[in-house]
Amino acid sequence: CKTSEVMNNGYIFDPQSLALAPVGSSREQVLLSLGTPSTTATFDGEVFYYISQKRTRAAAFMKPKLVDQNILAIYFDKDGIVKQEANYALKDGKVFDMISRTTPTGGRDITFLQQILQGGGSGINGARNFLNNLNPGQ
Amino acid sequence: CNTKKDIDITKLGVDTDPPELLYNQGLANIKAGNMAEAGKKFDAINQQQPFSEWARKAMVMSTFVKFRTGRYDDAVQTGNSYLRQYPASEDADYVQYLVGSSYAKQIVDITQDQRAAQQTIEAMSKLVTNYPKSQYVSDAQEKIRFARDQLAGKEMQVGRYYLERKDYLAAISRFRIVVEKYPTTNQIEEALARLVEAYYAMGIVPEAQTAAAVLGHNYPDSRWYSDSFQLLKKGGVEPSENSGSWISRAGKKLLLGT
Amino acid sequence: SGAGVITLASASVAEAAVIQRVDVRGAERVGATAVRDNITIKPGKSFSPSDIDSSVKQLYATGYFSDVHISVSGSTLVISVKENQLINAVVFNGNRKIKDDKLQGIVQTHSAGPYNEATVQADIKTIKDAYASIGRNDVQVTTQTAQVGQGRLNVAFVINEGDRTKIDKINFSGNQAYGSGRLASVISTKKSNFLSFLTRKDVYSPDRQQADQDALRQFYYNHGYADFRIVSADATLNEQSNEYTLNFNVDEGPRYTYGDINVVSTVDGINADELKGLVITQKGSVYSAKDIQTSIENISKRVASAGYPFARITPRGNRDLTGHTIGIEYLVDQGERAYVERIEIRGNTRTRDYVIRREFDLNEGDAFNQEMITRAKRRLDALGYFTKVDVSTAQGSAPDRVVVIVNVEDQPTGSFGIGAGYAVGNNGGLLLEASVEEKNFLGRGQYIRVAAGAGTEGNRTYNISFTEPYFLGYRLAAGFDIFKNQTSSDDFYDYSEEGFSLRVTAPITENLATTLRYNYKRLTYDGTNDWQNNLSAPYLNLVNNGPWTQSTVSQTFTYNTLDDQNLPREGLIAKFTHEFAGLGGDSNFYKLSGKARYYHMISDEADIIGSLTVGAGYVMPTDGKLNVFDQFTLGGREIRGFENAGIGPRSSHGDPLGGTTYFTASAEASMPMPGVPQDIGLRIAAFADAGTLYGNKANLFGDTLNNDSSLRASLGAGLIWSSPFGVIRVDYAVPVAKESYDKVQNFRFGIANQF
Repeated sequence: CKTSEVMNNGYIFDPQSLALAPVGSSREQVLLSLGTPSTTATFDGEVFYYISQKRTRAAAFMKPKLVDQNILAIYFDKDGIVKQEANYALKDGKVFDMISRTTPTGGRDITFLQQILQGGGSGINGARNFLNNLNPGQ
Repeated sequence: CNTKKDIDITKLGVDTDPPELLYNQGLANIKAGNMAEAGKKFDAINQQQPFSEWARKAMVMSTFVKFRTGRYDDAVQTGNSYLRQYPASEDADYVQYLVGSSYAKQIVDITQDQRAAQQTIEAMSKLVTNYPKSQYVSDAQEKIRFARDQLAGKEMQVGRYYLERKDYLAAISRFRIVVEKYPTTNQIEEALARLVEAYYAMGIVPEAQTAAAVLGHNYPDSRWYSDSFQLLKKGGVEPSENSGSWISRAGKKLLLGT
Repeated sequence: SGAGVITLASASVAEAAVIQRVDVRGAERVGATAVRDNITIKPGKSFSPSDIDSSVKQLYATGYFSDVHISVSGSTLVISVKENQLINAVVFNGNRKIKDDKLQGIVQTHSAGPYNEATVQADIKTIKDAYASIGRNDVQVTTQTAQVGQGRLNVAFVINEGDRTKIDKINFSGNQAYGSGRLASVISTKKSNFLSFLTRKDVYSPDRQQADQDALRQFYYNHGYADFRIVSADATLNEQSNEYTLNFNVDEGPRYTYGDINVVSTVDGINADELKGLVITQKGSVYSAKDIQTSIENISKRVASAGYPFARITPRGNRDLTGHTIGIEYLVDQGERAYVERIEIRGNTRTRDYVIRREFDLNEGDAFNQEMITRAKRRLDALGYFTKVDVSTAQGSAPDRVVVIVNVEDQPTGSFGIGAGYAVGNNGGLLLEASVEEKNFLGRGQYIRVAAGAGTEGNRTYNISFTEPYFLGYRLAAGFDIFKNQTSSDDFYDYSEEGFSLRVTAPITENLATTLRYNYKRLTYDGTNDWQNNLSAPYLNLVNNGPWTQSTVSQTFTYNTLDDQNLPREGLIAKFTHEFAGLGGDSNFYKLSGKARYYHMISDEADIIGSLTVGAGYVMPTDGKLNVFDQFTLGGREIRGFENAGIGPRSSHGDPLGGTTYFTASAEASMPMPGVPQDIGLRIAAFADAGTLYGNKANLFGDTLNNDSSLRASLGAGLIWSSPFGVIRVDYAVPVAKESYDKVQNFRFGIANQF
């Protein structure tokens, strides 16, 4: 049985609407045809990025593998008219190790003891809890 | 199970000691460290003459006792009912501070719901706006800063979750929230550095350069900046600010420090 | 409380008035300052009639006043109030089931608060509701008050709890296709019986009644009755006997089978014919809402991965009323293009954010796909960490953006349990096992279980097991088990085994999973009593040259489509294992074994469940001879009517030597025990077992061997009880075909549906 699965993440390109937003079209036209961008690159939207990824997964337990990624960048001039469009493909991506260090944060974390005390429940709830979680050994 | 004996309400007299005596007994108990007993004394005053000046002071102390004994929800409840009855009294700022601190004590690790951090910010902001001259304002601001660090930390945690899975779009949106909504928190450096990583991994080098440049401007000696610098240098690129990009706009805002 | 009367002196209403002083009358206890603090009118500031109105409202809101008058005379504002009595103390008498502080939390009347009749009546109702929710409907609540000093009083809520409200009868009318017993097992509410105080299943509540109705609808829709409807469902309380009678009047309607099945697509680029293969509802088979739902999910999955995540799949049924068939047409059309902006996880006070987020195949920024969200919700519910999982959507920051909000409520996942378990060894019987288990260790989704068991004849079991469901980020459940078991059930030797196993389980499809295991085991045989001249040669060898070690690698495939793990009525569960021993240790063999059990309803009406089981196994040495403990043993657990290891090759002294090959088969039918209330969960069963064990590759050290491959068989009957300690059964079986040297044991305790 075919267990491999294909997943389309991020923006879903559809060819007809792409044609409606050529160079020279206005910001509203782009928004109308392509929809809200995945992310924008300027405070007032100097550049729209539409990011799309495709992943496959050979079997249900595997991690989905990134097999395709393309990003459409639409650059606007001062008056909000598309002056240039660029495409980034998967091969443009750089491969490197991300920094593993993280900035420390605070806040109480539950200790095992707390979980037991909290989890046990007292009185009738505790008794019922212990009864309806019964399962045969082995 | 336990057969609780019925209480004969006719004998439940009013605590006949004068409120002043009860109040001092309460204070003595606090000094002796016997919080539960102190709490009872203050509640007795409140029962006896609910609107007297002593009752008001007793309510303040009762909130304090509940806070000290870790009964944070009760402290918040008593504190808030005090603030509803005596919004303009001279202890109101202290009670508001106690309410805010009760929430602050319940702030949990960033992998869990940060509702308590949100509530801390709301309560402490009320203190700062309603009682600007109060002595607790500085500590309130410190607690607000810590709570905002927590909220920013949560966005970073989710952002890193997606970055690990190469979900650059989801990661960038999360890091972006930290840069735009929490620029003054301790997470800002890492947020910018993660943006460099995300844009660079997608191959959108100009954005990565700008993010690194803004990070460099604001935190030149930060380890995160040196990491980003190394990363770009390995790829033969320098952090350079293309002023049009949103990050540089955000960066300028950082410089001005809103 | 009475409405305030606003009297306004001659000052003309239109222009705003200003007052210099506020004069308060009648607030001896509450005190004038509190009254001044609680009004919006301040001296020196202008105010309008609406200010007066809001001040009156605000004063009433404090609850301390039974009457409020505000009037303006000249430049002073006169507030005259009539104070409510103040409460000194509130007490609860006669309550045992619900504690004081819980009651104090839900009533409004509290000490230092105002006493007014309306709040007290409301509190009485709240207390009654609280008792009703734990199944005590005839609780009586009255109040007593006692004056204490001036205008001050104590309040006592006197509660007479009465005893538990039971459910006397549950009646079904209008049902022909399914018997009342069968329908009673579908709904969660049960008739009262001696176990109810523990199980609490006989507590009537309106929302449970609603849930039961949905359960009935679900049951009928999944068994072909598309027109099923509930005519009426009511519960009448018999005041004297304090018992409810529940009545469900149903109209089953005809049983439908599928008519023509069709898939239609209005989305260009999606070819409907390709999708036909995904539909599991075939023409002619019995209509089932679940199959339709599964078909929709299959199509939605295929269409989404083909690049059309926005496509929507809606089933349209057209009924043929005379032929009792329903044609189903799956319409695939274009849904609106929306993207998930954020996935907000709220309420997780223990479970970590990533443990919840990783159950979504959908990431932030992806196309909004309802099917994926329902799948994630199903997975989250299945985790068992939450009492409540609500997934809702809210408008995002742009018209085509949606925020998915996941609201969970953590539940205590730690539990202490007592259950029945099997002892080890050739004739180990049943034992009682106590276990402490945590399903969501530190909120990381990890599973920990520590258990110890004890039984007769020195049977002891100890085990610790740990599982991480997402090993290294893969959807692989990796873990380890450490165990030590011992028994002295044999007259001439005590047997003990200890060891550990490392395991990784990978799901392949929704119903198929495979587990890789490394197992290390140390076995010791200690001779007891006069073992030298009572044990056969192979066993003497086991005792003298112990302890023995086994180091094996194994892979198991498990296929499970059972509808219910505790009491399956439909579906198949099958397991195939192959194991290689020889990575060190004293055993060198390659062992194959498999077992499958198929459940099918023989009669829905009488709730008779049929099941067929087949099993087989073969072991071959890979280096020289096998040890006795490497070979299969066959006995009462597989073929009832015999002792454990009571079948198959035996040494001269009667010690079981096991065999290299076995086959087993069993057929069973079970039905509810007539004349016993459904809630107790008693069923009777009749069964026929058969099987054989033969072949020997073990070193006999010169001992003679009785070994032949004749078929053993037995017939018998059993009693199955789904008790709070698990589903236990006792069987009585009579062997009808056996060898002279086989060991018979007619009675046997066991764990039902153990696989």
